[in-house]
Amino acid sequence: MAEANVIKPDLEFVKKIMNSGGESLKKCYQCATCSVVCNVTPEDKPFPRKEMIQAQWGLKDKLFSNPDIWLCHQCSDCTAYCPRGAKPGEVLGAIRKLSIEHYAFPSFLGKAVGDPKYLLGLLAVPVVIFLTVLGYLGHLRIPEGEISYAEKFMPVLAVEAIFIAAALFACLGFFAGVVRYWRDLKSGAELSTNKWQRMVKGPIPVIIINTILEFMTHRRFQKCEVTKDRSNAHMFVFFGFAGLAIAAVWALVYLYGYEFFGIKTSGIFNFGLSPYPLHDPMKIFANISALALFAGILQVIMNRKNNAEKAGNGSYYDWLFISIILTIVTTGILSEVLRLADIAALAYPVYFIHLVFVFFLFAYAPFSKMAHMAYRTTALVFAKYSGREDKKYS
Amino acid sequence: MEKKLGVYICGGCSIGEGLDLEKLSLVATKEYKVPICKTHPALCGEEGVSLINQDIETEGVNTIVIAACSGRVKYDVFDFGPSNIVERVNVREQVVWSHDWTKQVQVKTKDAEGKEEVKAETKPNEDTQMLGEDYIRMGIVKANKTSLPEPFLEEFTKNILVIGGGITGLTAAIEAANTGYDVTIVEKNSQLGGYAARQRKQIPTKAPYSELEPANIQEKIKEISNHPRITIKTGTEIARISGAPGMFDVSFKQAGTKTKWDVPPPRKKEEETGEAKTEEPVELPADQIKCEDILTKDTDAERFGVVVVAAGGRPADPSEFEHLGYGKFANVITNVMMEDAAAKGKIIRPSDGKEARTVAFIQSPGLNGDDSDFPYCSSVTSMISLKQAKYVREDYTDGKAFIFYKHMRTPGVYENFYKSMQNDEGIFLTRGEVKGVTENADKSLTVEVDDTMIGENIAVNVDMVVLATGMVPETRFDPVINLAYRQGPAFKDLELFDGYCDSNYICFPYETRRTGVYTAGNVRQTMTNGECIEDATGAALKAIQCLESTNRGMAVHPRSGDTSFPEFFFQRCTQCKRCTEECPFGALDDDEKGTPKPNPTRCRRCGTCMGACPERIISFKNYHVDMIGSMVKAINVPDEDEEKYRIVAFVCENDAGPALDMAGLNKLKFSADIRFIPVRCLGSVNTIWIADAMSKGMDGVLLIGCKYGDDYQCHFVKGSELCNKRMDNVAETLGKLRLEPVRVQQVQFSIDEYNKIPEVIDKFVKVIEGVGFNPMKGF
Repeated sequence: MAEANVIKPDLEFVKKIMNSGGESLKKCYQCATCSVVCNVTPEDKPFPRKEMIQAQWGLKDKLFSNPDIWLCHQCSDCTAYCPRGAKPGEVLGAIRKLSIEHYAFPSFLGKAVGDPKYLLGLLAVPVVIFLTVLGYLGHLRIPEGEISYAEKFMPVLAVEAIFIAAALFACLGFFAGVVRYWRDLKSGAELSTNKWQRMVKGPIPVIIINTILEFMTHRRFQKCEVTKDRSNAHMFVFFGFAGLAIAAVWALVYLYGYEFFGIKTSGIFNFGLSPYPLHDPMKIFANISALALFAGILQVIMNRKNNAEKAGNGSYYDWLFISIILTIVTTGILSEVLRLADIAALAYPVYFIHLVFVFFLFAYAPFSKMAHMAYRTTALVFAKYSGREDKKYS
Repeated sequence: MEKKLGVYICGGCSIGEGLDLEKLSLVATKEYKVPICKTHPALCGEEGVSLINQDIETEGVNTIVIAACSGRVKYDVFDFGPSNIVERVNVREQVVWSHDWTKQVQVKTKDAEGKEEVKAETKPNEDTQMLGEDYIRMGIVKANKTSLPEPFLEEFTKNILVIGGGITGLTAAIEAANTGYDVTIVEKNSQLGGYAARQRKQIPTKAPYSELEPANIQEKIKEISNHPRITIKTGTEIARISGAPGMFDVSFKQAGTKTKWDVPPPRKKEEETGEAKTEEPVELPADQIKCEDILTKDTDAERFGVVVVAAGGRPADPSEFEHLGYGKFANVITNVMMEDAAAKGKIIRPSDGKEARTVAFIQSPGLNGDDSDFPYCSSVTSMISLKQAKYVREDYTDGKAFIFYKHMRTPGVYENFYKSMQNDEGIFLTRGEVKGVTENADKSLTVEVDDTMIGENIAVNVDMVVLATGMVPETRFDPVINLAYRQGPAFKDLELFDGYCDSNYICFPYETRRTGVYTAGNVRQTMTNGECIEDATGAALKAIQCLESTNRGMAVHPRSGDTSFPEFFFQRCTQCKRCTEECPFGALDDDEKGTPKPNPTRCRRCGTCMGACPERIISFKNYHVDMIGSMVKAINVPDEDEEKYRIVAFVCENDAGPALDMAGLNKLKFSADIRFIPVRCLGSVNTIWIADAMSKGMDGVLLIGCKYGDDYQCHFVKGSELCNKRMDNVAETLGKLRLEPVRVQQVQFSIDEYNKIPEVIDKFVKVIEGVGFNPMKGF
């Protein structure tokens, strides 16, 4: 007999999927209704049917070394139409979570973020950091007089130092994860008995740009049927975040333009220290972005609630991510409102919470659902690169 | 019985509109001189029935011919007690509902000015009228030729014998005993329980049918051991069963031994033709005990009324599938071996007693694209694999069970069981084609499977491989019942059904071709414990039904309640043995000279013997050769110059008959040149009737019966097939008479094909028109 393709089903991995929101996994009986109703799958070797049996058999490597789990946008059309209640959408979500965990660097954080019993510990890290800084500065009580977070509470320099460190840490995590993932994708494509056609769509940078453009338009996402509103909600969240990122850079220009280059307020642009007046274009832009994010995340929650019956309830991992964003955006908006309303007793604690959660989001991004932005991008780029990409998107 | 005929013609349901009732009455009163003939607009109404009752009381009418609807309806209304003969003439479904009442005739008339003109005029349809009149004639003749049957009654016993002490046998015995019958249960092993007693757990038998249940066979064994109505004989086998339902004489013997009451091998053909020279010791080994002839009575035999066979099966041997390594590798076992191992304790490898933590279950042998499962596999083997996969999971928390199948069958409510087993994270399922099993140095095994749902060819390393082999019915190996019947000791035609006992599987479960012998459980079909229990209960009920029918001299099935039975005019018997050989139920045992010995309680009253007998010496009180022959002769055959064809059709009353009624009910029209004569079974059609029809001047004879062959639908299993065999002789005879063989044809007809009735009939009429009139007309 020729060399046998010995597979080693991993029972523990099956249990992990079932414990990570894919508890319906074993109900699948391979009818392939899911692959038929899916609007985002390529026609050749469509998902999620094959992922379902690979998951049932605990074939971790096959699942991870294949971009398909990330081509899925969890429209939940499959879940809604599944005749057995196997919820392929939820199962693939659980597999993505485990994939993020698998590629996490350092790996213990991957496990910790996905497990509710470590939540307090993870939150304790930024709390301790910020309390230490405040203690060092002697700011451990509510300051008096006009509210100024930067001057009287947490200096910009400290905030930046901490967040730049957190961001670097996250970037390192992302980098390590994505590099390993790319390597596995390549080996997976090569090892696969069903090699994809190699139809490289030009140099990788071009593919990356194409992929990003695809994000901007949410072209894939809009193919969803059962949860078609999710595309809009995600668009709000996506552009809310993007706007806030731009506003943050803009604010840095104001601050350091003044500090280092002595640029003074000119026209409508209020260079200098924060807080900036409400009529400042940067402020207006930032506020709109915050409201967009807030509206977006509220829509996300509403959609999930409305679709729960068809699409499933979501996992801890999903809800942790949503809760973090919701907390960040609410505490952010509240910090501003409370500052303007001059309620110091509430403003400073709320701002503190805001900082803690922003840290959480930044530092743990490669381990939380936030990591989807890196892995999905990687998978989509790889799909285009390897010819896995379906014609209808090229 | 002095007969006094009364003919009653109904005018309801359009009969009065389609037919001239006066003319119909004249047939009775003028042609047949029937003393009483009445018409009524609605005979089935209170007034109509009381009209008949009045004549019975005051006029002494005792033979009642009712020309109305089909005899298949209103039989309760037209029931005038057991002492009166009732004959139903179907002028509704088969006459007015299926034929035109009027027809257009071209009539030449002269108008007022004396000019001739041709006008189309609507006139009553004379063909329909002739059809109705012929049916009246046949009905009167039939009534005249009928006598009241007298039931065959003897000292019958009501004891029940159950063969097999497995879950089916135990259940059948308990169910029958709880109903109030004395039961004896025979088991050849020393212990009761069979395979069910060797199980760790059983496939669910009750709602929600999702989890394994502890096997409940021990409760049954306990119940049966203390049951006052049940006698247990373990280590015992049947030497022979002679006699007939209600009076089976059963000779028991110690299991595995030979006695002189064993059934001798069936006689050879040359022995049968010669004079009483049986037993040739040449073919027997020296130590062979000489067996007594089947007609010799064992005075020590125990008497039973009815037998339930629950002999179960034996596991099939999968050695033929060499690529799977059974018999070659110690750790490749069958599901029966797995069950035995699981019942003993934790699942271990046979090679070294090491824990078997990963086990592969193979459902289908695969190889070379063959889609079939193991021989004798079914949904049960699918479920056994699921069950045993669960054992692996029960024994080891990290246990893994792989099931490779071509078909996963969990029918009906067992889907819940499948779902539940599938939901176990350690049970891995995939369709696939098993390529082979190889052994590794440490005695573990590698199973290679192609074309899996995973999308590729895979292999898994396992501690043990379990083959999902089937259960071969015991009747495949052994007659079990050892009937002292001339047709042989075993059930008939077992080879057609891979050894499974058979008789109209779908329509009449439990029935066999041996009256009073019912099968249940794995001799009938592979079953789960739950299905065995259900089946045993059904068979016990059928057995009781048989006892209570036999007891009253009635047929059991399918002519339930029929008290007639065949009578033989032995003086004219030529000992040709056709009746003995052709009876589908082995009701006749010939003696040494070859004279048939009837066993009325074995008889199903199909009349196949009557159809077979060349001397025509077999008859029933209410069904005989002369009766049907006379009915054929009663049909009015028009002269050739009338340009009307006449065809007689013998119609099976079980399926084709109802189909005709349904055709009428649906107002389907067909030729009025054909007359239908219902027969009990095409097997009962004696070729003399065909000769009668031909010599009467009929132009054709059609025989409409059930489908035969592998998927037969004949209620008497062999009737239509036997009839078809006789057709060869008929064709030969016709040839000799210079008549075209196409004038006599047999068609196979299924009850659900009523819409094809016009097509079948009109096609035959066309054929007859093609060959023209019977040249013997008028002779």
